Amino acid sequence: MTRGLIAKTIHEVWLATLLFALAMAGLEALLAYILPKFNEALSGRWLQLDFIQGMFKGLLGTEVGSTIDPGVIASIAWVHPVVLALVWAQGIAFCTRMPAGEVDHGTIDVLFGLPISRTRVYALESVVWLVSGLVLVAIGLLGNLIGGWLSGPQAPLAPGQLIIVVINLYCLYVAVGSVAYLVSSLSDRRGRAVGIVFGIVLASFLLNSLAQFWGPAKSIAFLSLQNYYRPLLILRETAWPVKDMLVLIAVSAILWTAGAMIFARRDICTV
Amino acid sequence: MSVIVTEQLTKRYGRRMGIEGLNLSVPEGMLFGFLGPNGSGKTTTIRVLVGLLRPSEGGARVFGLDCWRASHRVKTDVGYLPGDLRLYPWLTCRVALQIFGRVRGRDLTKTGGELAAEFGLEPDLNVRRMSRGMRQKLGLILALAHRPRLLILDEPTASLDPLMQDKLYQHLRDLASAGHTVFFSSHTLSEVEQLCDRAAILREGKLVADETLEALRARARRVVTMRWLETAKLDEITVPAFLDVYERRDRQWYASLAGPVMELVRWSAGQPIEDLSIGQPDLTRLFQQYYELEPGM
Repeated sequence: MTRGLIAKTIHEVWLATLLFALAMAGLEALLAYILPKFNEALSGRWLQLDFIQGMFKGLLGTEVGSTIDPGVIASIAWVHPVVLALVWAQGIAFCTRMPAGEVDHGTIDVLFGLPISRTRVYALESVVWLVSGLVLVAIGLLGNLIGGWLSGPQAPLAPGQLIIVVINLYCLYVAVGSVAYLVSSLSDRRGRAVGIVFGIVLASFLLNSLAQFWGPAKSIAFLSLQNYYRPLLILRETAWPVKDMLVLIAVSAILWTAGAMIFARRDICTV
Repeated sequence: MSVIVTEQLTKRYGRRMGIEGLNLSVPEGMLFGFLGPNGSGKTTTIRVLVGLLRPSEGGARVFGLDCWRASHRVKTDVGYLPGDLRLYPWLTCRVALQIFGRVRGRDLTKTGGELAAEFGLEPDLNVRRMSRGMRQKLGLILALAHRPRLLILDEPTASLDPLMQDKLYQHLRDLASAGHTVFFSSHTLSEVEQLCDRAAILREGKLVADETLEALRARARRVVTMRWLETAKLDEITVPAFLDVYERRDRQWYASLAGPVMELVRWSAGQPIEDLSIGQPDLTRLFQQYYELEPGM
């Protein structure tokens, strides 16, 4: 039974996941290759400008300082808006496929004509989603390492440090996916579910950026998922962001479980 | 033994009533027709039976198991064809049989392949390229391939050509004669008439009839066509109470017979009738009467 359902899910998602992963790898390679070359230029002139300082602070979630060190360069590759957009897009696209997508397309009737419980389908879909997320960030990391290697000897960061960043990013990915599962469980229309989740994630991103400049936003910044993903701090302190990761995991667990409970109890109307 | 039992089954969609107080019992090995006009609650009932909708009140059981709580166990031995069938665009008959077989824990490729050959469906054509009729065939194959004890079909002949409809009827008759139960909804009266052992009629979410076709036929009136002689004075003819004339076209009158045929024969012997024909019991008119009646009457 399990193999059949997993085969169905993989059949539906493998191509999109591969394309997202390749895009992620390509982008990471490009950023890891290009960014070190701008190091001197950024440190020299641009960093003196308040606007640039503010932009970095908004993006990285902390003060950059007067010079751009390798940690900042490496961090930018992992907080670049396009990188985050790719990670969110894959997570949102995957997690709104079922139930919202299946209800929207009417295929859920055929799926639940089979002797399977809703909880089982939800759980198996989630397993494939978690694996696809791992593939996405792992291939992204590979791209980053290749880009760093091609860029020359000026990237002294050890892969171990980057792995911590990637695991933190994966926790963020899981949290975004869990939001998507909850919204998807409440929705009959995939487009609406995608729109709502994207809105939530974008608001979360903007709140975290705003909190760097604006006092009132800072007081509610803890509500932003992005607040628990700070690669620059990880790379500078070379420590595991245990608290941040625990918050993301706890939020994910609560939202995912709420989604599962709602899906198990709701009516399925495809008309 | 009853395969399907519903007790005071009620489903509301907010303030709108889907079905109300439905009591049904479908015995094993029966071809059971579920009739009603659009919006009468047929699909709602079926969706409750397959666990897609949760009853608002009352309950439904299949094989003695609660359709909501034990939905996945119920469907081990159920084949279901949704009314508005939507299939995954990438699915082919061969891939579908492999995946569905894995989920059901049995090899469906042989039985499914035989059905595909019988229904004339290419095994490697994907849904994206299939016509509506072909998709319906694939839906039927997936519902039938594991030879379920109970088949629940929501308007299965929609978009099938007459030849394919006959094949399906034959298949369903074979299944029923082998002890399988077929529960199917339709609004095509002739379909139910030629196929079913028993029929339930639903109107505005309420059950207005649940009888064997034999009992329904016994209650259905025959259509009587009378052609009067040229010399007959039509305005002087007194029609007996057992004849309900519903149409008069010049000298040709159409009536439904509410009494025994012999009474009609005796009465007509003394009438200036040129030709008289007595049709089979007219189930269509009976069903239409049910459709038009107020629920509960």
